[in-house]
Amino acid sequence: MIDAPRGGRPASADSEDGFLRHAGRQFLLSLYAAMRSLKFYPLENDAVQNALSEHEEIAAQLLERGGEIEVRLSGDFIFVNGTRLRLELDNYAAFGGILGTLRGFDIGRMRIHEGITRKEWQAFLSLLLSLGTIEEAEERYFTLIERLLQAEVKAIELVQASQEHDQDEEAHAREVAKRTYSQGVAVTKEVLNSIRLGRTANIRKVKRAVQMIVDQVLTNETSIIGLTTLRDYDEYTFTHSVNVCIFSVALGRKIGFTKLQLYDLGMAALLHDVGKARVPVEILNKTANLTEADWRAIQTHPWRGAVTLFGMRGYEGVPYRSILVAHEHHMKTDLTGYPRHVRPRALGVYSRLVAVADGFDAATTRRTYQATPLEPDQVLREMWENPKRGYDAIMVKALINLIGVYPVGTCVILDTFEVAVVAALNPDRQQLNRPSVRIVLTADGGMVPPPGALIDLSERTPDGGFARSIVKVTNPDRYGIVVGDYFL
Amino acid sequence: MTLVPESTMINPASQVAELVRVVVKGLRATQMYLPNNPVYQRSLASLRAAFGPVWEFTDSLVLAVVESDLIWEQELVYEPESRSESFAWLLYKDGMRILTLRKGVEDEEILRFLQVVNQARLLTADAGDDLLTLLWAEDFQHIDYRFAEIVAENTLVLDPQAVDLEAQHRPDEAAHVIRQELLQERPAGVVALDEFDSTLYFLEEGEVEALQAQIQAEYSADVRGPALEILFDVFELNADAEVRAEVLDILEQLLPGLLLNGEFAVVARILREMRGMAVRVQLKTTEVGTRFEAFEGRLSSPEIVAQLLHSLDEAASVPPDEDIGELLRELRAPALETALQFLPRLVHQGVRRRLESAVDRLAESHPREAMHLLDVGAPAVLAGLLPVLGRLKVQGAVPAVAKVLTHNDPALRLAAVEALAAIGTAGAMGQVERALEDEDRAVRLAAVTAVTARGWKGALKYLESVINSRGDREDLERAERRQVFEAYALIAGPPSLETLGNILIPRGLFRRRESAETRTCAAYAVVKIRTPEARNLLERLTDDKELAVRNAAVRALREWA
Repeated sequence: MIDAPRGGRPASADSEDGFLRHAGRQFLLSLYAAMRSLKFYPLENDAVQNALSEHEEIAAQLLERGGEIEVRLSGDFIFVNGTRLRLELDNYAAFGGILGTLRGFDIGRMRIHEGITRKEWQAFLSLLLSLGTIEEAEERYFTLIERLLQAEVKAIELVQASQEHDQDEEAHAREVAKRTYSQGVAVTKEVLNSIRLGRTANIRKVKRAVQMIVDQVLTNETSIIGLTTLRDYDEYTFTHSVNVCIFSVALGRKIGFTKLQLYDLGMAALLHDVGKARVPVEILNKTANLTEADWRAIQTHPWRGAVTLFGMRGYEGVPYRSILVAHEHHMKTDLTGYPRHVRPRALGVYSRLVAVADGFDAATTRRTYQATPLEPDQVLREMWENPKRGYDAIMVKALINLIGVYPVGTCVILDTFEVAVVAALNPDRQQLNRPSVRIVLTADGGMVPPPGALIDLSERTPDGGFARSIVKVTNPDRYGIVVGDYFL
Repeated sequence: MTLVPESTMINPASQVAELVRVVVKGLRATQMYLPNNPVYQRSLASLRAAFGPVWEFTDSLVLAVVESDLIWEQELVYEPESRSESFAWLLYKDGMRILTLRKGVEDEEILRFLQVVNQARLLTADAGDDLLTLLWAEDFQHIDYRFAEIVAENTLVLDPQAVDLEAQHRPDEAAHVIRQELLQERPAGVVALDEFDSTLYFLEEGEVEALQAQIQAEYSADVRGPALEILFDVFELNADAEVRAEVLDILEQLLPGLLLNGEFAVVARILREMRGMAVRVQLKTTEVGTRFEAFEGRLSSPEIVAQLLHSLDEAASVPPDEDIGELLRELRAPALETALQFLPRLVHQGVRRRLESAVDRLAESHPREAMHLLDVGAPAVLAGLLPVLGRLKVQGAVPAVAKVLTHNDPALRLAAVEALAAIGTAGAMGQVERALEDEDRAVRLAAVTAVTARGWKGALKYLESVINSRGDREDLERAERRQVFEAYALIAGPPSLETLGNILIPRGLFRRRESAETRTCAAYAVVKIRTPEARNLLERLTDDKELAVRNAAVRALREWA
């Protein structure tokens, strides 16, 4: 039977959600125990029979409450009747075992119907164990279905994972990306605050954060780039550093940096504005027009950053590459810009790349002294067409190639009168102008709650035309849209 | 159906426990033995083999790291006696919570994994790396791990923000705004679909290649130079004393590491740049200027120079000679004494050559310091300094060097003679004369060599007195006696033939015949005169009654020829 929850009576114990979380956990544990005992002992063994009895009893209680038990896999998570079960140390092995087994058979969803018998459980579990040796997961799945039919197992219904909608995967990817992003922001905040207070910054944490970002860019680029649209006004300095790090690493990947080079690049990018920790907060947070003196103070941040990095402990050696980037990221390709220099210099690849990522993110973000951010496409066009901006033309081209002409986060009006937010670049290079979007406002002006329906703008109607097209870019503030919400 | 007795069934947990035990043993082997050690090799072979039984029942081993224990499928598979000895604790303390080893890990990755664990174990508390950052760099394919969040507190919660309802329109209003907006003229800068050409933004092959080349160049270039130039620029362009002091702090902190790594050219560059800047920004009278002078002087302080030379002489591989020379050129006067002490005992020839040049430069540009050292320097310093003064022909040093001729240490007196001889002025040679009567043979010989080389007539009086005094002459051992005779002949020239002839062929009834040894020395001296008379004399001696004299004459004539 289902035990009382541990640690006293949780506040949610009486609620449906609390019950499902607890009962679902017990269900998985008993399912796993039954499977293990069947793996090591013959069916007649008492250990197997006891485990099956316990499992039957727990399943019956769940069925009594809900009429059906649905176990759904989503990334590393298991949902029982729609409730996500928490992975804990005392259940991780069982969760891992169930996840591994079901994934091995390409099972994405399993429904248990009322009236399931012990014989059906026995058959199902035995088949999971015996068919595991089949080479291909898909073949395993279909063999399992066939054998279940032969064994007349009717109360267990399976849905193939690859048939499931990709949204689960997406949700999981977004979850991981969010964690990475949050950690990056927190670490940046910690480092900059440490420097401001004259304390030693923890470089290990910075490294870990950058490594996580590199991993995300390598495995889940769309989700992590999507988060750069958050542009948190209050946390600008920190989110900006993380955004620049993400754009830089993604751009580096685009132009062929190795994984370790991406890490170097990420470190340099995350710390590019470290000098701001030594500019008075009152100036950084000033909302009124900045004076000449204020600008001069802000313009010291590149060299202050370089000096700070020279003195930062915890590196095996001096972080020369990060120092160069911190110092040079506001220099133009003709070496004008700031800070001034006496000795001849040549801007390195890292500096030119981070400068582009920095320029793009800064211009598209609302800051204390930039109340109205520019639209991403306008920024890209300006960077591309105006040589006076002093960006490296190839880097800008690579950035456009990376984020598209309508970068992720751009708010657009479609020819259907819907308002949408660009969610992902079109993988087809010939259709950079047809990204995937999330509908935010319907044609009649109704707000669609996040995350909004995902639409591929390259989809065609039966007559061969495009179902939807972008007509123009718009300002999300005009409609009270918080773009970042559609990436969370 | 027959039940299988439980005792014969596999017990997966014990197999896993056994594997973990072997892994821990493997870790110890990586700590204690070199890869070519047989114990290490055996341990590695056992480690690889230990995975076999585990892969019989699973393809991936998921271990929970719970402080100092490891748990597999809710069973404790590793429980050391103490935390300090725990393999699991090495993982846990750096944040690892779940470790997954997958089939194939035994081929190669497990060894690298253990090496990284060992490397992390040795890291100091303030190191820039920990186990997880090191593992990441290895890019394992068969090892996964999950770790605790980096920042537990104050992490931003990324949840959808509350929508600004005030900014929102009612649906019908919003729909109206959308339509209005579409009717408006397209703002400048907005991309229009009809003018959009995707291909414009594709990176061309040549551009990609150029970028790749730039990345390669970035990694092969020495980025220290441009980075240090930032500090120099900051120092030069900022009048703020605090900023300049910070830059000086950084440079002072950098120096030991640079010296330790043999980055001598970089250190020299820093010193040169700073010296140039001190002049350009007129630091002299400022507090920063004082600090800068002290900073520059520190490299030349005796303890630092001693460490530098010690490490150079004992290093298995030394930096290029040019780099050493570049750094040593930056030494200042306070370094002279220590450099001199090291000079005679340096083993590494390249280092020695560079140090000689540096010392020469220092002594030449700081003569007062050199003179002072002659007065007060320890014997080791004098031994290094005297040859330098000779090489540089420092005339002003003659009186001070001459004082060394009375030093107790014959080696120093010898060095003083050589230095005076090298200086070679009349004053110096006059002092060398004194050494002709030194109690030490080597000193006397050096003095004779010196006066001979210079044809120093002042020495004739002494040489003649020795040659004419049978007692003095016979006191000298043969080689020295021969050298005195030759010196006499060379300095006095043809007039010496008479004296030498009298020794070789005694005249007069009561004239006592000289010893064969003395006559032999005289014969060798005659050949130096090179006049017909000298030749005649030697030819006459070829019939001498004494074999030694005859042989000497024959050899001398052969030398003549």
